[in-house]
Amino acid sequence: MADSTTERASAHDLELVALAATGGRAAFGELIRRHGSAVRGLLRRMGATPALADDVAQDAFLAAFEQISDFRGEGTFQAWVKRIAARLYVKRWRRDARGQAAAMLADVERETVTVGEAASAARLDLEEALRALSDVERLCVCLCYGGGLSHAEAAEALNTPLGTVKSHVKRGLDKLRRRLAPGREFDPEEASGHG
Amino acid sequence: MAELIFERELNRMFAEAPELGDANLFALRVDERLQRGWTVRRLMIGGLGIAGGVVGGAQLLGGGLVARLGDATSQSGRLLTGKVIDLVQAGIMPQSLPPDVGMFWVAGAFAVAAVGFAVTRVMKEF
Repeated sequence: MADSTTERASAHDLELVALAATGGRAAFGELIRRHGSAVRGLLRRMGATPALADDVAQDAFLAAFEQISDFRGEGTFQAWVKRIAARLYVKRWRRDARGQAAAMLADVERETVTVGEAASAARLDLEEALRALSDVERLCVCLCYGGGLSHAEAAEALNTPLGTVKSHVKRGLDKLRRRLAPGREFDPEEASGHG
Repeated sequence: MAELIFERELNRMFAEAPELGDANLFALRVDERLQRGWTVRRLMIGGLGIAGGVVGGAQLLGGGLVARLGDATSQSGRLLTGKVIDLVQAGIMPQSLPPDVGMFWVAGAFAVAAVGFAVTRVMKEF
């Protein structure tokens, strides 16, 4: 048992996906452990409360398990689940926005998280910068940059004209650029030094 | 150019996800929901199977199929017995073998069971 746990922990995502596709729940559990935080993090950045983010992320992983044979390994597993989660969140946002938009889009509660050394200033800056965006701008930017959706896919998910989504993304990016590099233009050399 | 680099940087920032302290607990919760889903599915399949069986059984009994099957079996039994007797009289089948039709049915059932077992084994192998 311990051996198989160790093997799972060291296995590549694609191996775990192959095992999960044959009904291997333990392998899928390892995938959730690896990527659950990233998916939940994206949903929080999109504007979901921690509880709602967890709820939608759970639904996303359940959907991923059901459709795992559809995953062809063209991108990463994490990106695939993020796309599923982002679409599910938008669906819920659109449904709930009718009656309780304010509650859904309330400022994201901050929860104590174990971030360790990985809590880079850049990430905290991003969290802060995203707060400066309007709800729709944040949603559009997160869908396209965090969820990996194209503008057209985001427009389809939001049931909004493509031009509107592009405008939201552009305005959002402008605001982010100003917040992430206040008082100066974004420095490409500095940025490429990070990557 | 600068915009592209900024967008690439933004992608990198989004890819940097904080590791949440309850990652294991979250995975357990999803697993519990998966388990619940499977249990419900199994119960539904079992329930539908039983319901289908009951309806099918009722239809068979109601349609008098069992009685008709019994008639057909006794007719074919008589026919088979007659054929065996013919074979014995013609000297093809040794007289020591009792021309009991029940024996043939039992042998046939064993043969079917053996083939079924073999097929099951082959399916397990592949």
